[in-house]
Amino acid sequence: MIDPVDLNDFFVGFFASAMVVVAGALYAGTFAWSRLRALPRLMPWAYVAYAVLFVSLLVLSSALNLSGYWRVLLVLLLLGYLLAPHAIWHLCRGTHGEQTPGEG
Amino acid sequence: MSIGENNLQGLNGGQRLAVKYFVVALALFGAQLLFGLLAGLQYLKPDLLYGVLDFSVNRMVHINAMVVWMLYGFIGSVYWLLEDESGTNVVGLKLGNLAFWVLTAAVGVVVLVYLFVQIGPGTDTTLWLINEGREYIEAPRWADIGIVACVLIFFFNVAATFMKGRWSGIAGVLVLDLVALAGLYLAGMFYTTNVSVDQYWWWWVIHLWVEATWEVLVGCIMAWGLIQTLGAKRRIVQTWLYIEVALMFGSGILGLGHHYFWIGTPEYWLTIGGFFSALEPVPLVAMVVHAVYDAGSHGFRSSNHPALAWLIAHAFGNFFGAGVWGFMHTLPQINLYTHGTQWSASHGHLAFFGAYATINIAVFYIAVQGARGGVWMSAHLPGNGWKWKWALALLNVGVVGMTVALLIAGYEQSFVERAIEGSTWAGYFAGQNHPWFLQAMHWRMIFGWVTLLGFALLVWDLFTIGAGETREARDVHPGEAATA
Repeated sequence: MIDPVDLNDFFVGFFASAMVVVAGALYAGTFAWSRLRALPRLMPWAYVAYAVLFVSLLVLSSALNLSGYWRVLLVLLLLGYLLAPHAIWHLCRGTHGEQTPGEG
Repeated sequence: MSIGENNLQGLNGGQRLAVKYFVVALALFGAQLLFGLLAGLQYLKPDLLYGVLDFSVNRMVHINAMVVWMLYGFIGSVYWLLEDESGTNVVGLKLGNLAFWVLTAAVGVVVLVYLFVQIGPGTDTTLWLINEGREYIEAPRWADIGIVACVLIFFFNVAATFMKGRWSGIAGVLVLDLVALAGLYLAGMFYTTNVSVDQYWWWWVIHLWVEATWEVLVGCIMAWGLIQTLGAKRRIVQTWLYIEVALMFGSGILGLGHHYFWIGTPEYWLTIGGFFSALEPVPLVAMVVHAVYDAGSHGFRSSNHPALAWLIAHAFGNFFGAGVWGFMHTLPQINLYTHGTQWSASHGHLAFFGAYATINIAVFYIAVQGARGGVWMSAHLPGNGWKWKWALALLNVGVVGMTVALLIAGYEQSFVERAIEGSTWAGYFAGQNHPWFLQAMHWRMIFGWVTLLGFALLVWDLFTIGAGETREARDVHPGEAATA
């Protein structure tokens, strides 16, 4: 069963869901770029993006009344977005094993 | 073959056939834009061409032209890469040419019938000869059968050519995907008397085609495109292709559930659709990271700058159009209000352009380079390549502008018509007459013209880029044999 979004939370719901994906991509992109270009100063910004994602998901969960088993989705998204860039990075490293960054 | 001159005879058989598909695809792209502009104008002036060319017909031709030009682009792209990838001549090239002319003639006849027989009774005869009546796949039954026959010929040519030549990872994924591409279309070719069951199967064609088989098809083209333009290593792109296909099917097949929320299917689809739709952005995020990684690790040195730019536009467009715009309204708690509003149109515009138009245009540029004898298309083009850069900018700005305008209209519609007025008839008119909606439609029109301008520049560039150029294309595979 679902509990539809309240009128007052309409905009918040849309905005938070957009921010989830945008912050997720920003986190993944900044994470990859920091590792790729060996720029450790960028890494904190990656985690700032993840923090934005974290807050957005909590706001989304509240606006969309995600209760009961819908909370599982929330936990999956929080963990998935946190770990996915690490996994994707390892896959990139693994598949590009014979190349070093900057090699044509 | 002379560098910088058009010489189709220098191309292989598959590539010559591909060029025919590309030319028709471009013409249909233009038709899509023109009918879209007319439909957009009818939002502003509802009596425009009323009774002559109704909105319902314009919209139908606009969407059908889009579907068909993208299919033509995909088929052309596969024929373009087929002989290089398989290392042998296309098996059944004459059959392939015959299928091209039959399909093109059928498309022409279907559109003319749409335009000349706009209204009338709906009977078994009209279903077979005029219009099947299902949104987005209106082609009459005779054309449906023809489409399946042509796709089967295409499948035979691709599978048989790889069987005769050599297989690769790209080839394997491509052939399996074409089985699904032809097979899923059959789900839209029969009727049931229960509208919920009917819609259930109809979504197999609409969703599973687009969010599964098309995505995998463009994944194959993207993998091949990265090898061509960046010199990316085959082992790498194929591994990524497998990963992305697994993620795509893992999330996309049951993500189908977001279309089953409100058609009378059991309630468990709310959970299944919500959960798997939430996972659908994952492969798209992976693609963005991988595209950034690959382009960065090659220092953005490519053999074809316009094609690479469109490939990168594809990675980001797919992510924003399908990922961000999709996730914004995919959970049932919010989709209850947004389903079928201009919000869907906003998502559709950005997702189709970002995911599919971009990659077809990238292959057009690769084909132009080949047709001109492998001409230089990297940095320092004449005029600093202003035409391709402006075409890229105008098309992207135009589509993004339309997307944002439709998003505002869709938000207002969801809020006023659905949430406040409770989807009543009065609510429909309140939503349609709201100043936000009307202003958004004007802005959509303005950005529609920007898109058309970008298209005109794109066509001009495709017919002129590389002409008179004497430099050969940058070699991105130094010391590497082009083997699988």
